[in-house]
Amino acid sequence: MSRSVEGTLEQPLELPPRTENKDLLGLYKDWQRRKKMVRKNRAWILGIIFLAVVWSWYATEFTLLYLISGAGNIAAFIATDLFPPDLSSIPMFIGPALETLYMSYAGMVISVAISLILAFLIARNMKFHPIISFICRSIVTFLRAVPALVWGIILVSAIGLGPFAGMVAVALSGVGILGKAFSDIVEEIDMDQVGAVKATGANWFQVVGQSVWPQFKSGFVGWSLYKLDLNIREAAVLGMVGAGGIGIVLERSISLFQYQEAAMGILMIFALILLVEFTTAKIRERIL
Amino acid sequence: MSEMKQEKNRTTKNLIITVAAVFFFFSLFQLDVISETFLASFDGLLGITSTMFPPTLDEPIDIFGAAVESLQVAIMGTVFGILFSILLAAFAARNLAPHWSISYAVKTFAAFVRAVPALIWALLFIVAVGLGPTPRILALAVNSIGMLVKIYAESIEEIDESVLDAVKATGASKFQVIMQGVVPMLLSTFISWSVFRFDINIRYAAVLGVVGAGGIGWELVRASRMLAYDQMLAITLVIFGMILAVEMLTRFMKDRVIQVNAKASS
Repeated sequence: MSRSVEGTLEQPLELPPRTENKDLLGLYKDWQRRKKMVRKNRAWILGIIFLAVVWSWYATEFTLLYLISGAGNIAAFIATDLFPPDLSSIPMFIGPALETLYMSYAGMVISVAISLILAFLIARNMKFHPIISFICRSIVTFLRAVPALVWGIILVSAIGLGPFAGMVAVALSGVGILGKAFSDIVEEIDMDQVGAVKATGANWFQVVGQSVWPQFKSGFVGWSLYKLDLNIREAAVLGMVGAGGIGIVLERSISLFQYQEAAMGILMIFALILLVEFTTAKIRERIL
Repeated sequence: MSEMKQEKNRTTKNLIITVAAVFFFFSLFQLDVISETFLASFDGLLGITSTMFPPTLDEPIDIFGAAVESLQVAIMGTVFGILFSILLAAFAARNLAPHWSISYAVKTFAAFVRAVPALIWALLFIVAVGLGPTPRILALAVNSIGMLVKIYAESIEEIDESVLDAVKATGASKFQVIMQGVVPMLLSTFISWSVFRFDINIRYAAVLGVVGAGGIGWELVRASRMLAYDQMLAITLVIFGMILAVEMLTRFMKDRVIQVNAKASS
């Protein structure tokens, strides 16, 4: 998403002519000129942001009154309608919550498997044919830019309601994120080490096992688990478009005005996210 | 590391890998993927992919207007999210909070807000303030607060006190200490996370319309209910284009700042 400073600076900069004048006035002028350059740039960017905000503010007809009334309404709504959460609805949420967990986990494993292949095809230092890598890179960019929920809507209408659509949606958005992350890691692999292992006469499996994998491992595990954390959040709402999991039940409770049930569902999602984050943190600690 | 500890580590790793593999197949089994549904859904997928082409936008509905509205919602949500996050972060940071209990309260509030997905916030706000762009703006703002308060507060807590002392030692007033000492230290973290949050918000804004009429997400749902697959593909491409364009714009601005700063200090 973002490029490093070094990457940006690789482009040749047009350096301003340095003043050779050593006297103080010259130095001061030079400093003033540089300061002006930064200020001008900053003014431009702030101006663009300001215009964008004014434009959106005007077009969405937002008034500050909404902020106050919205905050008041939501507070009143939470206090009167959501509380206390309906504890008797817990059994209703357990099954869908587990389904969400299965969806996000299976989706994560599938996306990891596909991303691994794509990552090697994309990575520049693996020297696959540029057309192949360009195509794979475009696919990954496309999958990343389209939100998981959009995939959910498309897949639900394509393959029907149910958790299978949710799993595929989560896996598709996972390929977008992990494909990029893994290919970046592969590109950063130190090829000297690989060469050194090759020079000992190791076969392909030994080369991958002894030189590529150790460099790849920490990033691989870290990103995969991070994706699992994300998946739980995404899968929890995928149900709202009919793609299985806890979102279906939650959406139904809200549209039936059963807000205390809904509150319990939100708490269950909260608990599920905490549980998964705790587990992934523990696994990360153990494996790395 | 002793031999026994190594052995133990290896066993834990193997155990984790085995459990992970078993759980994967268990999940697939639970999701009923291994049965004939898989093949059936593959057929369905092939069937609609053929009807998806060519993507069309021939309906009288205004897809681009909806996309622009989503963009505006994202901008407003991000701006209010940032403003309130800065305000709350000042109370959440341990070294600024008037009392430690306030810091804990604000941080717990942020953690709770963060845990509730943006889509659910949108649903709740629709109930609370009605339809239109307003509930989506508020939902995005609240969801941003959950993340940004945590990050802003952490960066405030990491302020290097010795730099502030150095600025104070020059005889600077309180206002000067903030402008010359605090702001430069926080600014780059604040800006990079705010831009990152904007990139997230534009994605959320694209889909928030799913729950309440409005925005491009709603157009997608509408097309899917009508089983107009060619329109669905076209709308998806518009969403893709919108997100990509915004990302390229923010990246361009970021790069420009870096370049100009490098040029000015060379």
